[in-house]
Amino acid sequence: MSRNVVEKLLYQLCIDRSVKQRFKEEADKLLTRYALTDEERHWVQTFDVAALQKHGVHPMLTMGFWQENAPNRSPMAYMKALRPESSATEPMFSAALKQ
Amino acid sequence: MGKIVGGFLVPHDPVMFIAPQAPQEAIAQRMWGAFATCAERLAGLNATSVVVIGADHYMLFGTGCLPQYLIGTGDVDGPIDPLPGLRRGVIPDSQKLASFIAEHGHANGFDWAVGRAFTVDHAVAIPNQLIIEPVRAQGQQIGTIPVYLASGVDPFIKMRRAIQLGAAIKAAIEASPDDERVVVIGSGGISHWVGVPEMGKVNEAFDREIMDYAVRGDLAGMEALSDDYILTNGGNGGMEIRQWACAMGAMPGAKGEIIDYAAVPEWVTGLGFVQLHA
Repeated sequence: MSRNVVEKLLYQLCIDRSVKQRFKEEADKLLTRYALTDEERHWVQTFDVAALQKHGVHPMLTMGFWQENAPNRSPMAYMKALRPESSATEPMFSAALKQ
Repeated sequence: MGKIVGGFLVPHDPVMFIAPQAPQEAIAQRMWGAFATCAERLAGLNATSVVVIGADHYMLFGTGCLPQYLIGTGDVDGPIDPLPGLRRGVIPDSQKLASFIAEHGHANGFDWAVGRAFTVDHAVAIPNQLIIEPVRAQGQQIGTIPVYLASGVDPFIKMRRAIQLGAAIKAAIEASPDDERVVVIGSGGISHWVGVPEMGKVNEAFDREIMDYAVRGDLAGMEALSDDYILTNGGNGGMEIRQWACAMGAMPGAKGEIIDYAAVPEWVTGLGFVQLHA
């Protein structure tokens, strides 16, 4: 199941500093080590956490992946990425997430 | 022969540390105060060891190995995910009793995974710092025994197995050669949605339902909760009520007393504090 290898990659991108560094510097090369589909590779490289979750990827990993690697690591940015269509109109549930 | 002398069911909310000012001050003070109350009551129990039952958050265990349940039998440190005000460091352990619980389980149908030098995450580190450390600071020597259940990452431990595991912990403690006084802490919950679009939602009705099971010592009620029901009403973080069920399983017949509760969307969680009276 492809979800598994995506989770392996995201887990390493959460906890392994050297993998995080390679992702930052040469993502294309790094991702060849994982049996990802073109779509999955695209979602990871574009930080499309909403698509990853729809694909079944564990939300704790999408959140950790974002917090450790995204250009804008803020929780608010993560929530906007997760709810791209509704974020403009729906209130955020948590004041903490707005910080 | 050891003995379980009490228990607590508490949250382990990292957002309390990340955004302490987010809720109204009175609510925040009440929640920090509830931890302090647990510490005061722990001090009165004269415990020698505390078993803290937590859940991994996909930080400790990766896709290569996802244990259903694990006990730290050796050196303990952490958290692996330090927070403002929650620094990583060595945590006093209780190696002899922890090893005995593992060995007793292995001999009686509970195939514990063990961590012989184990780094906890915030699920154990928060109760350790806010409940156990203040008692150590008063001069009591207490070892922390970390237990982890598969509540955060699937495949989830079955609720029934979590309860059975609590009973196995009790049996091991009572079979142990030393006269340990042991407290169990179920760390987690109650309703919260982690990393998903609903993050920040809290379901007070679900929280009160779960606390009611704890107050009445209703293990059958806890066991009857389906995963679908928990996920729908308590969120993916609500699966952590397995830690409550495990602690309750270690204290069959115990009645619970609610120390405090608040639905705190600013801290993305319904925070419930229950003492289990032996």
